[in-house]
Amino acid sequence: MAIRGNWMYENNGGTCVAIAGADYCVIAADTRLSVGYSIYTRDYSKICKLADKCVMASSGFQGDLKALQKNLAAKHLIYQHQHNKQMSCPAMAQLLSNTLYYKRFFPYYTFNILGGLDSDGKGCVFTYDAVGSYERVGYSAHGTGAGLIIPVLDNQLKSPSPLLLPAKDAVTPLSEMEAVDLVKDVFASATERDIYTGDKVEILVINASGIRQELMELRKD
Amino acid sequence: MSIFEYNGSAVVAMVGKNCFAIASDRRLGVNLQTIATDFQRIFKIHDKLYIGLSGLATDVQTLYQRLVFRHKLYQLREERDMKPQTFASLVSAVLYEKRFGPYFCMPVIAGLGEDDVPFICTMDCIGAKELAKDFVVSGTASESLYGACESMYKPNMEPEELFETISQALLSSVDRDCLSGWGGHVLLVTPTEVQERTLKSRMD
Repeated sequence: MAIRGNWMYENNGGTCVAIAGADYCVIAADTRLSVGYSIYTRDYSKICKLADKCVMASSGFQGDLKALQKNLAAKHLIYQHQHNKQMSCPAMAQLLSNTLYYKRFFPYYTFNILGGLDSDGKGCVFTYDAVGSYERVGYSAHGTGAGLIIPVLDNQLKSPSPLLLPAKDAVTPLSEMEAVDLVKDVFASATERDIYTGDKVEILVINASGIRQELMELRKD
Repeated sequence: MSIFEYNGSAVVAMVGKNCFAIASDRRLGVNLQTIATDFQRIFKIHDKLYIGLSGLATDVQTLYQRLVFRHKLYQLREERDMKPQTFASLVSAVLYEKRFGPYFCMPVIAGLGEDDVPFICTMDCIGAKELAKDFVVSGTASESLYGACESMYKPNMEPEELFETISQALLSSVDRDCLSGWGGHVLLVTPTEVQERTLKSRMD
């Protein structure tokens, strides 16, 4: 990392997306790690499994992401020792928010999306900014390709958009297969127009039977 | 804030089967304030050639007047309409004349050429042409438009489907851009007719 002056961060590019369904949650992120106009690796996972039914994907500075993942894993382990159970997704969401705000004056340069199933088994997606402001939404995208992807999700998910007022329960009526196909489509489109997105996309589907992982090839240029 | 974001705009053109569609938003703003909600950004050069101009509104209007003037002279001398490819070269030359004090406009040109083959192109504010076979976008909402068009576009769409696709792409994209919106203006041009429609969307 070239530290010019006192600039302590760098942007490693990439895009992550999550969609919440009635009884499933889809989370996806590409696997390219870049700096400037170079690619460091084509095979880097930006997704981390925090708990049984809770997965986090982030774009931004991957160094800070690694530190954040370690931090959350440690806190989760302590929780498990104290409460004799795994953390639920909404609980992990609050924990992540607090962890991010703890470093309010030297932030983690990560734009996170948390996805999983809530205690009723419904899909939930929580979207964050770098300092911990969060909201439960029906779908979200972050990263260099997010501006290309979000309008398409607004249009295709047929779920109340986060832009509507009053805020509605935003879970999409699409089926799991349709949601996964949509994610593959949007990543293929984002890869065409965003130089930092490509190589492969890692798609995780969380439902009542567990977590299923799928890898799809993308353009490598 | 950049000079290109002073007024806010979104323009997109798409190619279909023996037809093309060109669409724009209708907002005219001054920074954060909306001044007009019926601002025209797409102009007719002749029956089968349209130009959409995004960017600074005053340059949009001046550039349109200059180009129409040049085209009328051409019509008088040549006794025929300009081909889209020729017009694109004309626009490029007019913009490059002002290389060191440019018009702050990014044009989108769409027309039916010889044998009614659709032609679209866009250029930057100093005239670098970009010919595309599928779609071209321009304006403050261009990143959203790229994403939406890339996902929704299919080659060889019939006019009705093309109209639906370009409308959905425009509306979804401007909804995520605060500087463009307040409805849409879509023109669908086939060899025999021109359909012009106004879209109603989120009015904000």
